[in-house]
Amino acid sequence: MKDRRKPGDLEPRQGSAGAEFSVPLAQGGKPARLVSLFGSLSESREVVVRYVFDVGDPDYQIIECRVDGPLVSITPRLPAAAWYERELHDQYGVTLSGHPDLRPLLFHENWPEEIHPLLETPAEIPWAKRRYPFLKVQGEGVCEVAVGPVHAGIIEPGHFRFSVMGDVVLHLELRHFYTHKGTEKLFEGSPADSSVMLAESVSGDNCFAHAVAYCQAVENACAVAVPPRAAAIRLVGLELERLISHIGDAGFLANDVGFVVAHALAGGIKESLLQASASCFGTRYLRGVACPGGVRTDLDAKQVAMLRDSVTQAAREFAALAHIILETPSVQSRFETAGVLYQNFAEELAVVGPVARACGVDLDVRRDHPYGHYRDLQFEVPTIHYGDVLARARIRIQEAAVSSRLICEALGSLPPGPTRLSVQFEGQRQGLSAVESPRGELLYWVGIENGRLVRCHIKSPSFQNWPAMPFAVAGNIIADFPLINKSFNLSYSGCDR
Amino acid sequence: MILDILERSLRERSPLIPVEALWNTCEGSRLPDVDPALLTPAIARRVSEICPTAAFTAREESNRMELKLSYGECIGCARCIDVGQGAIVAAKAFPWTGVSKQRLVRRWSVNDRAEVQVISPESEEARKEICALLGRALNIRQLDSGSCNGCEAEITALTNPHYDLERFGIHFVASPKHADMLLVTGPVTRNMAEAVKLTYEAVPAPKLVVAVGACGCSGGVFAGSHAVVGPVDAVIPVDAYIPGCPPTPAMLVSGILQVLHQRNGNR
Repeated sequence: MKDRRKPGDLEPRQGSAGAEFSVPLAQGGKPARLVSLFGSLSESREVVVRYVFDVGDPDYQIIECRVDGPLVSITPRLPAAAWYERELHDQYGVTLSGHPDLRPLLFHENWPEEIHPLLETPAEIPWAKRRYPFLKVQGEGVCEVAVGPVHAGIIEPGHFRFSVMGDVVLHLELRHFYTHKGTEKLFEGSPADSSVMLAESVSGDNCFAHAVAYCQAVENACAVAVPPRAAAIRLVGLELERLISHIGDAGFLANDVGFVVAHALAGGIKESLLQASASCFGTRYLRGVACPGGVRTDLDAKQVAMLRDSVTQAAREFAALAHIILETPSVQSRFETAGVLYQNFAEELAVVGPVARACGVDLDVRRDHPYGHYRDLQFEVPTIHYGDVLARARIRIQEAAVSSRLICEALGSLPPGPTRLSVQFEGQRQGLSAVESPRGELLYWVGIENGRLVRCHIKSPSFQNWPAMPFAVAGNIIADFPLINKSFNLSYSGCDR
Repeated sequence: MILDILERSLRERSPLIPVEALWNTCEGSRLPDVDPALLTPAIARRVSEICPTAAFTAREESNRMELKLSYGECIGCARCIDVGQGAIVAAKAFPWTGVSKQRLVRRWSVNDRAEVQVISPESEEARKEICALLGRALNIRQLDSGSCNGCEAEITALTNPHYDLERFGIHFVASPKHADMLLVTGPVTRNMAEAVKLTYEAVPAPKLVVAVGACGCSGGVFAGSHAVVGPVDAVIPVDAYIPGCPPTPAMLVSGILQVLHQRNGNR
């Protein structure tokens, strides 16, 4: 995944105004989709900014810019860059000219100004009390409803500021990063072979996707191809994680419209898969299974048969349950037309994953940027164009069926051989890798120097998708917010890191 | 549709796991145990070197060697089991959940090949006593102070038909003001520290606080981060700890019941 920039068409220009370049174009002349944007430090400790684009090729396109002076913001041209540039500003103190909103993103009121942890390692950070101005919606009858960070339920923390007129939400402002743990900084200096455990703790319910994305980035950096058996076991793990996640989501969606029996049944099916995972891999959520060079756990014939049976049975039960959920009139009346995300908004904000596929944006890393064992398998990528809660529920139900089929197919023809290769880490290396996590495109970029990480950037699908949610909520009644939020099912920790 | 559900419910067996089968089990957590008979100085050194969170530490003093294992730090990565040559195994019975911080720590004398100060797992009598506690009400408020959501996923599983925490009279409540117990997950981040304190203050006395997961117990893999204040007890007083990364639902059930048992004994 090297820089595929051709000299004429996209040229970063260094000038007094900073770096400026023309956004690459995808097929059809539309601007390419922004995948990620992040900083890192060069050997001379200059800030280097990398823009990752998807122009429709199997390889991502990376544009590098050295920062000398203020950087011209690309947010006015590509709204999807808004949070990335705010993060860049927080982490590295890069000045961005022309950015419409440079309020702190990662750091709340208790952080003093001018702390840029990835530029300089902070020793002791004093406690400050700054102000954070929320957008004020004014007018007769407009009320503000503040919710969170601590929510009523077993949910992660985040703050939602609704401006409502009666029951109708006029505007929703998100304030996240309560669970910001400085993970990208923790990667710096830690050994490349064991840091997979940090990747696993970025978003606990998608930990295998994070682990595989991290390992693949390290393997790409070191030019290692994992053995076929390891690639197949990784595919089984990734699809199992997707299946578990989607079954759980369908249950929670039913729960949010008061259909608690369906929630209980979905919880039971999900649990049976977690127990199967524990007896095959030793861990319920596949923690500690992936490692650079392959996987640490092999499956024997008995475990393969057992996992296949569990997945087949779970898929059958879930298909029947999904039918019951979708055919219940009270569920339909709540799901239909709730929380519509329009395709043009989704495209402008570069939304990924099931949320994108539910509003007609046909993206899937497994098919568009194939990796591992996905190169050898045929599978369909369902899309729906309605963009409402019902569409997001349907997408997940259809994807669960594809996942269970892929698991059975991969388990049916597990290649023989070793499951792990040793990885050599000499010298300076860089690597990038993306996987399709249950929430969508997840990308890791690593810089390695003599076996230790000098930089690890995580583009999580939640970070990309959160800014799109307010557009789906506006115009709905506030009581539908939990349902719409659940239908997006974004991770707070994955976003906040 | 209702008839379909009814038909299904009547047809299928209840998946409910009896409390005896949950008690002191930790399958799926990969937390380690030590077989002292096979322990050698080389193994003790090797596991303390390989442990990424320093849960295992070996101390050598004038020809004597002690191996210490702190479950609060352990993330269940099983690297010690990989190199332990049979001396380090995955724990089967696991009574170290819902206990004090001191009891999360175990020590073995490598020379004597024996555990120092063995605290035996709960006896049969204690188990019966605990079962007798069941049926009382306990209201839990779960609080995420910066977790990766792995612990949340397992706490949510407690309400599924396999574990059904409600059968013990234990409910999750929406407001800290209705809660008897705070179940706190995650390292406390800088951005959550104030909210954690305020939530603690909102719980009416006597309040029980249980720190959950490696991050809640010790900071886990996030210990030392500039954006993290520390484990839960760095911010609010903690009564008991449930280790694991994440703890399995069985460990959570055992831990919560253990806390109730301890509390009953102290009265």
